[in-house]
Amino acid sequence: MIKKTIDILTSYSTPRKVCEMGNVAVARGAIEANVDGVFSYPGTPSTEISEVFSHINSFQSRKENTEKYPEQTANKIYFEYSINEKIALEKAIAYSIANKSALCVMKNVGMNVACDALMSITYQTILAPLVIVVCDDPGCHSSSNEQDSRYWGKMANVPVFNPSTPAESLAQTKSAFLLSAQLKLPVMVRLTTRVSHTRGVFNYGKLSNKNHAATFERIPEHINIPAKTAAAHAKLLNKLHSDYINEHAVKYNQIIHRQNANIGIITSGVTTVYVKEILERSAIKNNYSILNLGLIYPFPTAIVLEFLQLSLKKIIVIEELDPIIENEVRVIAQQNKIKTPIYGKGFSTLLPTGEFSLDSIEKTLFDFTKDKSLKNKNTPIKNTENIVKKLPVRPPTLCAGCPHRATFYALKLAVPRNISDVILCGDIGCNGLGALPPLKMIDTINHMGMSVSMAQGLSEAFHTSNQKNKTVAMLGDGTFFHSGVTSLLNAIYTKANILVIIFDNRTIGMTGHQDHPGATHLNKYHQIDLLPFIRGMGAQYVESIFPFNLKESFSKINEALATQGVSVIVAKSPCIFLPEFKEGSIYRKKIVVDHSRCNTCDNHEDMQIACARCYSPLNNLSRAKLKITATHHVAAQEQLCPANICNHGFFNSIIEEHYPEAVKMVRDKMLFSRTCGDICHRPCELLSKNKTIVPIKNLKRFVSSFDESFFDFSTAIERTKTAQKKNKKVAIVGAGPAGLSSAYDLIREGYTVDIFDKEEKPGGMLKYIIPFFRMDKTGLDYETSILEELGVTFFGNKLLGKDFTINDLSQKYDAVVLAIGLWKSKKLEVVENHVPDAKKHTALSFLKAINTHSIQATQPSNYLIIGGGNSAIDSARAAKKINPNNTVTLVCIESRENMPAFEEEIVHAIEEGVKIIPESSVEKVIDCNEVVQCTIKSLLTDNTQIISCDTIITAIGQSPNTELFSELSEQTDKNSSLIHINNKNGFTHFKNVFAAGDICQGNHQSVIGAIASGKRAATGIRQLLENYKYGYEGINALDKLNQSSGKYSIPKNNFTNEVDLLEGIKGMDFYQACAKCNHCIDNFGCPAMIKVNGKIEIDYQKCTNCGLCIDVCPNNAITFIEEVIPA
Amino acid sequence: MNNKTKIQVAGVGGQGVVFLTNLMVEAALISDIPVATSEIHGLSQRGGSVTASITMGENTYGFIEKGGADFLLGLELLETQRCLSYLHKSSVVVADDFKITPYSVNAGTAPYPDTKKFVKNLEKQIQKIILIEHVSGIKDILRNMFVLGVASTVNNFPLTNENILKAVHQNVADYNIESTIEAFALGRKYKYEK
Repeated sequence: MIKKTIDILTSYSTPRKVCEMGNVAVARGAIEANVDGVFSYPGTPSTEISEVFSHINSFQSRKENTEKYPEQTANKIYFEYSINEKIALEKAIAYSIANKSALCVMKNVGMNVACDALMSITYQTILAPLVIVVCDDPGCHSSSNEQDSRYWGKMANVPVFNPSTPAESLAQTKSAFLLSAQLKLPVMVRLTTRVSHTRGVFNYGKLSNKNHAATFERIPEHINIPAKTAAAHAKLLNKLHSDYINEHAVKYNQIIHRQNANIGIITSGVTTVYVKEILERSAIKNNYSILNLGLIYPFPTAIVLEFLQLSLKKIIVIEELDPIIENEVRVIAQQNKIKTPIYGKGFSTLLPTGEFSLDSIEKTLFDFTKDKSLKNKNTPIKNTENIVKKLPVRPPTLCAGCPHRATFYALKLAVPRNISDVILCGDIGCNGLGALPPLKMIDTINHMGMSVSMAQGLSEAFHTSNQKNKTVAMLGDGTFFHSGVTSLLNAIYTKANILVIIFDNRTIGMTGHQDHPGATHLNKYHQIDLLPFIRGMGAQYVESIFPFNLKESFSKINEALATQGVSVIVAKSPCIFLPEFKEGSIYRKKIVVDHSRCNTCDNHEDMQIACARCYSPLNNLSRAKLKITATHHVAAQEQLCPANICNHGFFNSIIEEHYPEAVKMVRDKMLFSRTCGDICHRPCELLSKNKTIVPIKNLKRFVSSFDESFFDFSTAIERTKTAQKKNKKVAIVGAGPAGLSSAYDLIREGYTVDIFDKEEKPGGMLKYIIPFFRMDKTGLDYETSILEELGVTFFGNKLLGKDFTINDLSQKYDAVVLAIGLWKSKKLEVVENHVPDAKKHTALSFLKAINTHSIQATQPSNYLIIGGGNSAIDSARAAKKINPNNTVTLVCIESRENMPAFEEEIVHAIEEGVKIIPESSVEKVIDCNEVVQCTIKSLLTDNTQIISCDTIITAIGQSPNTELFSELSEQTDKNSSLIHINNKNGFTHFKNVFAAGDICQGNHQSVIGAIASGKRAATGIRQLLENYKYGYEGINALDKLNQSSGKYSIPKNNFTNEVDLLEGIKGMDFYQACAKCNHCIDNFGCPAMIKVNGKIEIDYQKCTNCGLCIDVCPNNAITFIEEVIPA
Repeated sequence: MNNKTKIQVAGVGGQGVVFLTNLMVEAALISDIPVATSEIHGLSQRGGSVTASITMGENTYGFIEKGGADFLLGLELLETQRCLSYLHKSSVVVADDFKITPYSVNAGTAPYPDTKKFVKNLEKQIQKIILIEHVSGIKDILRNMFVLGVASTVNNFPLTNENILKAVHQNVADYNIESTIEAFALGRKYKYEK
């Protein structure tokens, strides 16, 4: 770069041939014209012009260069990036008035900002030459419009040069300086992208190196007051008729006339070279006469008239964007009664939109001339358009390590797009890239600096509505100083309710990292510190954040959003291209991805299995948020469900208040959301070793209490409908939780399922035995009825061993599930032999009578329950429910601590007034007409006591009726009478028969134990019938449950009401790796993160070690390793 | 030089498309060949596509029409494919099998186009395609020089080995000259086997 800077400052008496951009040519032209000062605002496609002077400025200000390069440093050129184009032009005007020649550089839309200055200085006067270079952008490669800035010349009455090549750019810039000096009027040089960014060969010539001395003359023209303007206007128009103009026009407006030519072509700008290159191909070059226009305003009427008067058959005007030349040509033709047909906009490819190309001009010229020799001589290859059309696009994206991405991400966590209606107003520059996927954190982008006005305007519009949210404005630091600052003043002044986030990456990033007032690298300038500046304006909330500190960013954004009035956050961290970024504010450790955690599910390998994450991207966002905000981090593996409900997904749905989704997640795995919410003994919580327990059961009850989601089985119905039909029939014997769970899983996988049960209705123990006061029976009926809607056929009142046998089913069906439960009550001889039937019950007969309401409330009476298990406790509580004044005593041989019933149920029973006599046995029972007298003996002391009761209930356990399945005698345990199964898949090793529920040896006797074993049997059947290669998804939790025998202590967070519950889970983070995550790709989109075969890989070429992905990953799969990367 | 030669260079921001273009321009100036270029790289630093057109010969101005590229130097395979419509029957393509996946591919919403299909299609339609594959031992940032090395061995390539090396010496910082020339030389030795 230094070499090029020296070259461009060097005078060559023998021309030096270079191949440089149009923009560099403009700069050299200005230098050859002896420019004293350059004022600009960066903007593509004009930026390289300013950059030349920026380099010159730093080159010339280095002391050592003054001695080393006296020639190149003799004539110092002042340069500044002003804060915006208006200031740049105003300062350039002042420079000129002080007799210093000035160049002012900007892009197309910059002229709109600067126009106020231009529109009135023309009525006054300048002294030294002032040239304004404006670069238009047909086709909008990098602009917010494709305006035609040639209009500004006409509107302001300043001459406009319009070069077509780099060589012309140099020559015309030089001429512009000269003309400006001659007319004492600013002169415009207007380029387009294809001239600015085209390199061509041209020469560096001689420099004069003449310094201008500053002067100031007190003349009336410097004072603009209305009284003078009319006269000044006339004077201005006179300048445009000056002979000086023609001096330059003859150089750049030229006719190439050929005798006998029939066709006339008028061109200007880059179209001139397109036309030249294509006509060069022609075999009949003499047929074409051409008029090229380089100085287009004041309009070159004379030469156009001369061209029109040639004996041409027709004329075409080819210019990009608006028909400015064309319309002038038509006026001249009309005024001079010239009849030659004139073509232009609307003909062939000549549109006022987009940019032209060799191809479009070839088509236009061919359509106009029918000259076949104009066509490309090469044979293009075929079918390219179809291929190219299908290629994935490569939109620009924020760089890896970009602090903007960090800020956008923090904002995304604060106001998730799909659930938040906060309007986000973005701005021009790198900030605008936040609108693209996957960030999509911008709703509006307008012209530069508008974000702050947009936000306050929208906020004002919603002022009277119920909308309480703040509107957010986001803009870069450069944009803020350019024009956002005045808008912020207005917001503070008008008490707007907005949040302004200034993305302060210490530079103007998009255009190539220029300085601005808030971030300058030059000692000669004073850097303006944003925080005191904005606080001084009076904003209510002004804080700075370091975007890579996600936790702080998130909390401050929330604070700012919650503050009424104007909040301002300055997100400060250098752009990755700045030296200060590389100098090491960011970590030097290497980032690695643990693939065993990335997109992996610890719960199942089968990705096709019903899994809630398919419809739950928000869960990831919730988890990502909790990861940085929660105070209690709980690994979800600590709280696995034997039915394998995705507990962490369930939890995260609830955190996001997506209750229907949470219910769906339960229903993915089982029918019974409300039932489990009511009566599950929650092994997930009880078996956890973690200090903090996530109250899954309470949450399940809570989300299932919303009828709308409770009654919605649409997902299961849809899944059943779309399942591939397996054409296999499965018989399930027993319609309890185990059998129904098998049925639910199999029907959704495309099996045909028939269920047989001895009772009239499905539900088994849930329906008939578990007391009504512990659960919602109506809900249960609905849940079981869904199976029939899914297509399961239920046969009630069918008795195994009587109406059919295992052998029958095994032959008629492809597989059988035996899930008949334990319905045979164990008897106690002392009771059986001495108590009449009217005064005795088994737990099952008593509870069934309770549930069918065949026992009515009576006078207060005394109950004695024998047994310490769940059916004993249920019976005891039920006895109290019949009449609270009943005296209920429970006797069991176990100690209080070792009673096998669920602890919570025991506590409930005691609370309700049940008296428990532990470690005692019933020694003697005497029926004394009125009452039954029982002698109870303490096993510890051998002391006895006598208890009188009206009803005695034996609840010492149940066993299966082995006669019903005599075929399985070999598989039946001799002691327990339970069936031995393969505990991975429920297979009985008998034909095609599987078993589930309490009847299985080793199965935990609980609802969730039954459900899980039913699901396990369904998996076993799939393995048998469809070669399904995966094991039961919940096997680990089920094994853990089955092995658990000891008593559990009741978890601390046993929330009794909704408010406590929702409050209680705040601050909890319940996490697990998820196979369907994709969070970083969907929400973060760092270009250094690539998904290869379903796992994230780091592209170390791009990775800047910013470490943000570590905080982003919901799977905790990304970490730093201690390998320090050298600076 | 009477003949025109048009060279299209395609890649992704950061791969050195602009550097390679500058180097060819300098080599053309040394060779006294009229040269011009046109580039679009407004957002190149943000990982977007970058293409540059180099035209050599009288009456060319840096622009390439559809079916007008005699050479296509592709630094990234997807971007190379995006330039297909610039090819004609006598074109020569030198394409690095280097892939930089765009966001849509990362996100799994679009597949990265198939290399074999691309090569097969071009083998039938153009004069020559040289696919650069299985290259190791050079830094990614110097792969552009490798591609130029390969291209410089093709008949009719307008720039000589000697003038390219001169351009390197004149335009590359001293401490990078050796590695730049080494990558270029490796490219010259590359043998493409179908």
